[in-house]
Amino acid sequence: MTQDGTDRILHAINSVILGKQQPVKLALACIIARGHLLIEDLPGVGKTTLAHTLATTLGLRFQRVQFTSDMLPADILGVSIYDPEKHQFSFHRGPIFTQLLLADEINRASPRTQSALLEAMEEQQVTIEGESFSLEDPFFVIATQNPLHQIGTFPLPESQLDRFLMRIQLGYPDHQAERALLMGEDRRQMLKQLDAQITPLKLLELQQIASKVLLSDALVDYVQALLAYTRQSGQFYNGLSPRAGLGLIQAARAWAMINGRDFVIPEDVQALFPGIVQHRLQAREHLPSTDWVNDILQQVAIP
Amino acid sequence: MISIGMNVYRHWRYMVSKKPVIAPSKTTIHWLMVTLSIIAIPHFFYQPLWVAAIFTLMMGWRAMNSWRRWPLPVDKRALKVLHSFFAVLTIVLVFYSYGITIGRDAGVALLTTMAAFKVVEVRSLRDIYLSCFMGFFLVITHFFFNQSIPIVVLMLVNVILLICCLITANESDSSIKHRLKQSSIIVLQAVPLMLLLFVLFPRISGPIWGLPNDAMDIPDSLPDSMTLGEVPPQNNAITGMSDNITIGNISQLIQSDAIAFRVKFENNQFPQRQDLYWRGPVLWHTDGKRWLPLTENQKRHETTSKIHVTGNALSYNITLEPHDRRWLFALDFPTKYPQTMQTRLSADGGLNSVEAIKQRVQYQLSSHTDYLFNPDSDPNLRYGLNLPDDHHPRSQQLARQLLESSTSKTAYIDAVLDYFHQQNFSYSLSPPALRGDTIDQFLFESRQGFCEHYAASFTVLMRAAGIPARIVTGYQGGEINPVDQILTVRQRDAHAWTEVWLPEQGWIRIDPTAAVASNRVDFGIRDLLPAERRSPAAIANHDRLVEIWQSAKNNWDALNSAWDMWVVSYGPERQLDLLKKLGMHQPDWQKMIAWLAIGIALIFVWIAWTTLRQKSVSKNKVQRVYQTFCGKLARFNIIKRPHEGPEDFALRAQHALPEYQQQIASINHLYLHVRYRGDTIAEDFFQAVKQFDPHP
Repeated sequence: MTQDGTDRILHAINSVILGKQQPVKLALACIIARGHLLIEDLPGVGKTTLAHTLATTLGLRFQRVQFTSDMLPADILGVSIYDPEKHQFSFHRGPIFTQLLLADEINRASPRTQSALLEAMEEQQVTIEGESFSLEDPFFVIATQNPLHQIGTFPLPESQLDRFLMRIQLGYPDHQAERALLMGEDRRQMLKQLDAQITPLKLLELQQIASKVLLSDALVDYVQALLAYTRQSGQFYNGLSPRAGLGLIQAARAWAMINGRDFVIPEDVQALFPGIVQHRLQAREHLPSTDWVNDILQQVAIP
Repeated sequence: MISIGMNVYRHWRYMVSKKPVIAPSKTTIHWLMVTLSIIAIPHFFYQPLWVAAIFTLMMGWRAMNSWRRWPLPVDKRALKVLHSFFAVLTIVLVFYSYGITIGRDAGVALLTTMAAFKVVEVRSLRDIYLSCFMGFFLVITHFFFNQSIPIVVLMLVNVILLICCLITANESDSSIKHRLKQSSIIVLQAVPLMLLLFVLFPRISGPIWGLPNDAMDIPDSLPDSMTLGEVPPQNNAITGMSDNITIGNISQLIQSDAIAFRVKFENNQFPQRQDLYWRGPVLWHTDGKRWLPLTENQKRHETTSKIHVTGNALSYNITLEPHDRRWLFALDFPTKYPQTMQTRLSADGGLNSVEAIKQRVQYQLSSHTDYLFNPDSDPNLRYGLNLPDDHHPRSQQLARQLLESSTSKTAYIDAVLDYFHQQNFSYSLSPPALRGDTIDQFLFESRQGFCEHYAASFTVLMRAAGIPARIVTGYQGGEINPVDQILTVRQRDAHAWTEVWLPEQGWIRIDPTAAVASNRVDFGIRDLLPAERRSPAAIANHDRLVEIWQSAKNNWDALNSAWDMWVVSYGPERQLDLLKKLGMHQPDWQKMIAWLAIGIALIFVWIAWTTLRQKSVSKNKVQRVYQTFCGKLARFNIIKRPHEGPEDFALRAQHALPEYQQQIASINHLYLHVRYRGDTIAEDFFQAVKQFDPHP
């Protein structure tokens, strides 16, 4: 039943986003593992569409915030305004009070605004003038980011990158997919016609099931070997944190569930590894990240 | 070990590719300083004070740099000059202290101080490596001075610490425990190679493999011109039997607890305590004060000595400490002696080696304690009657008196012994100094003395009565360690006794000391020593503690003698012996080298194999069986890569062997469930793999 559910979701998304099965599956795994997602790519490859499609198919309420350099934390969190009739301040909720927030081009905002968002992500609540407001459950942030070498960006510091469970890239569609895209109907239109495949309640249930996927000692050995390698090989400035290890395991469970298994195998870890570590590690040598990620996977034997 | 190697390599590559120098972390420098200090400190006891002073100065400089940020030579030109000045000063001091030739001591002093100079200069990883390697050299130099167990243990710790430094240089954020563990593992990994090299590396006797000439602290031989009662300089660390006795010498020797030699009797058959006379040099000539052995010429005038023996032979093995003389000690009377050292028996029964004993040696002997030595005649009898003219008038007179009242020579001997026994003679380890005619003074005035006094005066009395007599020096007794049944003879067991020649009986041993203090011979010197020589004064009154102390001491002595006999004196003979026992026919150095090469190759193949397989050596049966499965597929050149997941591998195999698709898929399914889901269907999995038998 669970696999049917996830298959339906994937099918629905893939009918809108063409030729991107793997990133779509990763994005879904990220959400089922209760993680926030960072999509990094050039403008116009479908980042926003992916976020929007995910929200729709999962039946989540959706808000989109376009980040700019003059944006203030209040623009996301909300603001208290004096109401002259009631003679008191009332809190006007910002766009963050939703189930799925698309933070578009997060690296265009000032660090102050970025950190306001990321704190809310971490704590699942917002505190304004001493008063705390819980965010909704489920609550996800999908942030998109332009590659850093573009002008006018504030790169996210490492500590904040760590808050995102996964970072994925979409890339250009292949020849066939692009052709279908160019010849097919307008994506916006398609989105409007798309139905929710599950309810938010059902999504919480899926998350529950995923967290109970079996994890053997042998697999933990493998994850630890991977973590240890990043710390000891000397190729990176810092090794992976335990939080990264936890994320890897959470995501691998979700991935195993999507693949219809109730236990995790090494291939699950391998499939997720690039998405989980690429934004967390910094190689000493300037090599493309895909190179060293594959290098890690090939250097570490499966115990 | 490999991963650290890789780390070092990566660092090196990194340093080469990017020019800026990586400064080693403070932790690394602190580790290095502490380690080098621990290594250097034992040297300070041998070396002049300035070595310690300069070492401390340099270490202090570096310490102040990391504590209070004092500038280093690299920061200021003036300091660089100062640093160089100290280096030049050191070289001057080395020449001043040791002269032009750079021997062991000078070399070690130079190395010690230079290591400290280098520490002040350290500013890159490369310098750290260099300092650590100097540290390894310093570790080796300790063995030029001392090869005892404690120093070996200390140096082992130092090696571990040095490797820790190397690890720290590369992983300064790892925990101390991790570093210590890592470096201990590295040292442990080196053990098989070390043992192999130790056993098989060809030992060739000769100066090439020996330690430098000044490496062994052999005392200067005591000068011939030594006069009565003179105390030899205290700094002569090791004492040994002297070639000639001047009264007062053996008493110095008795002060020393140093080991003279150790004896292992075959089948632990010990002779009677009264028979434990270990013959050393025999003294004949006297000028009234000094006693000298036969000259080389007189000794060479040897006809083959005639020895008649009865009873059983005792076989034993002696491990002799170096004493820089040629004589070897043997239980009276040796009948079979070692051929390896070109041993010769001299005319007066002493065993001599061709070369001076400068290193610890072992030799095998057999002795008979019942013997007749030259009963018919002896070519040197006339020397055994010589007395200096106009000496010992009172003694001569005594001899005449006693001889008149004796009926035979034997009776005369008994009369003299009775004289010692009945007159007021006493055994004392600290007798009053003798002046003038020493023999007369001893016999008629002081009457306090120990073995050499009695032996010398007895010999004089014998010769005065026309009985050929000579003094035999050597050791008497020794202690048997109950732990390993090894008899240890120490310098304090030094003894002197007399031999007289009687027709048909030959040379007979007579120990006049026994007439005065029979304990000396019956129970050994130990009981005659003051109590504080036997056990520490603090516990002397607690019997139980003395007992514990004694048993600890016995165990420690046994350990030390095993160490000395098997490790430190593992020389050519020991090696050949051991290799023969291990089944090598006629071992020679070519065979040893060949086996060594094979052994080393095997060790390296083993290391390479385990490294390449990394941790794929399976720990449990599921993994083993899965490897069998992989092995079966490997026949088709479908080889599982270490990083390849089982699912991916199975898919690849299915693709390559479509006819076995079903079987591979089901085996993989079972494996995944057993190993990653914890299902208890392992037997099914084993069965499936067993039945899987693909054919091309």
